[in-house]
Amino acid sequence: MNKILMIALGILTSIGGFLDVGAIATAAEAGSEFGYQLIWAILLGTICVIFLVEMSGRLAAASKHTLADAIRERFGISFYIIPLIAEVFVDFLVLAAEIGGVCIALQLVTGISFQWWALPVAFAIWILLWKGTLGLIENGISTLGLITLVFVFATFKLHPSLTQLGAGILPTLPREDVTHYLFIAVSILGALISPYLFYFYSSGAVEDKWDEEYIGVNRMIAGVGMGFGSIVSLGVLIVAALVLHPKGIQVDSYEQAALMLTETFGYWGFILFAASLGIACFGAALEVSLDTAYIVAQTFGWNWGESLHPKEAARFSLVYTVFVFLASLLMLVGIDPLQLTLFSMAITTLTLPPVILPFLVLMNDKSYVGEYRNGWITNSVLIFTIALAFILAIVAIPLEIIGG
Amino acid sequence: MASREVHLELLLGKEVLDSTGQEIGRLEEVQAKQSGEDWVIYEYLVGPAARLERLSAWALGLAILRLFGAHKVRRGYKGYRVPWDQLDLTNPEKLRLNCSLDELKTISEKLEAED
Amino acid sequence: MDLIRDVLDNQLVDRNQHKIGKADGIILELRDNQPPRLAYIEVGMPTLMGRLHPRLQRWIIALEQKWGAKHSEPLRIPWSKVLDVGIDVDVDLEGEATTALTWEKWLRENVISKIPGGG
Repeated sequence: MNKILMIALGILTSIGGFLDVGAIATAAEAGSEFGYQLIWAILLGTICVIFLVEMSGRLAAASKHTLADAIRERFGISFYIIPLIAEVFVDFLVLAAEIGGVCIALQLVTGISFQWWALPVAFAIWILLWKGTLGLIENGISTLGLITLVFVFATFKLHPSLTQLGAGILPTLPREDVTHYLFIAVSILGALISPYLFYFYSSGAVEDKWDEEYIGVNRMIAGVGMGFGSIVSLGVLIVAALVLHPKGIQVDSYEQAALMLTETFGYWGFILFAASLGIACFGAALEVSLDTAYIVAQTFGWNWGESLHPKEAARFSLVYTVFVFLASLLMLVGIDPLQLTLFSMAITTLTLPPVILPFLVLMNDKSYVGEYRNGWITNSVLIFTIALAFILAIVAIPLEIIGG
Repeated sequence: MASREVHLELLLGKEVLDSTGQEIGRLEEVQAKQSGEDWVIYEYLVGPAARLERLSAWALGLAILRLFGAHKVRRGYKGYRVPWDQLDLTNPEKLRLNCSLDELKTISEKLEAED
Repeated sequence: MDLIRDVLDNQLVDRNQHKIGKADGIILELRDNQPPRLAYIEVGMPTLMGRLHPRLQRWIIALEQKWGAKHSEPLRIPWSKVLDVGIDVDVDLEGEATTALTWEKWLRENVISKIPGGG
């Protein structure tokens, strides 16, 4: 009974927590500029992330190690220091972008410039981390995130042509703006396949004391949760394609993106967009802040745990505290949130190879995962994802420069 | 009884030369066992030359090999087994064997056969 | 026991299952005509940084000596205190009584407790 409840909750929180600033921004841009043509990118990213998240959970349940723990132990500090620094740097940018998402949402609703919201939002994030428990964050905020289902609802109300949707499942190149198209594709993949997800998920699994009995639970949550979560992402793209694309509205700012729900919901669509953006980004901001604290503490062997009182994990708590306020400074000084989002999604792809490669060794290593080693299907998907990650890492910066 | 301290973590991945000065590989593993109240080192594993610390193309290759069913790719296959008395640790920057590569190969194979 | 795989970089836990750092270094004692003896496990940021670059190590030591807890000596755990080497390395010590948590304690008393809700 408990397991079923856990699976259900896990699926709900995966759906509610799927969207973040990157997923929203990239899907909105994709839909508004290229219609359905980039649906394949969301599907591809989702499949990769399902497998990687499942592996993170299985690693935690079988080895009782988090991903960061396992990488340092198995490969040594000389290897891990580079991915660690890269991940902290990327987390910084992504966190700033997530905070930006919340600030923009507040700007949309109140009219007060997002810069003014930077510090209050940072404070709200901090206080929840400081006083809250992992359960509150994982379950509470992510459940609120179910509001993002409005995009799925709007999709149904707008009656997209299924045949046209189906055409988007296969990758095609547009007639013009090819570099921009590829840049958005790379950004979508970077937004969906985010390393912070794997680190965070494995840390949560260890904090929740998962063991071998949760292997099945993990598979369900990863597969069904992420799978359904991607439907929300598709919803954003499809709505943007149906509402913004025909009008030639290219998403250059969140204000424009916010228009996409007005066709279905009228004025409330604007509010619903803001609420979705704000809640999704707030939840993601919590995760990214925690993720940074997790990986730093786990690398150096400090005591860590969100549910612990800050007194019991002083260094861990200090990391996220400093991080949240530093990241908010980027918004305080007025860096454009949308531009930062797209940029950080592209940069994320650079950190993918060193994060995913270790999975290939760890998930086949008996001493870590025992009998729960990867099957050949999982290994094949993993190798494909690694190859994809290398390709993305190589093309990301050039595409950013040419097509960004 | 002269004694010296050595930082093992600084030896990891260092090049090992044989008694003739030929590079034979890098230090990859150190095996210890109990001897009375102490734990002592009895064997070193020196891997083939040119690797990336502990994350190696080999480890990757190992993983891929296992993918295709090579579950019995044993550790001893990875490199040379060096008994404790054959490796000179007095200069951590220059790890030298007390024997030549050929002699090491003989010793290594004998250890493998004994297992 | 494989030292590099099973001890180095592994999590150390004390008697109360509290995390007291990772095995950042292992000290061997070289002896004449005898196999080297495992002397200590070393724990500390300087030890860890020393594996990356000596300059980094000097920088970290200077930083740790000037600021905060003003402590930069790594902790040396005698091998006799190692109880078990498994998922973690269990050591027969009271974490709070060692210098492994010097910085943790300093931050706890001087920073965390000064923040509302952290006391």
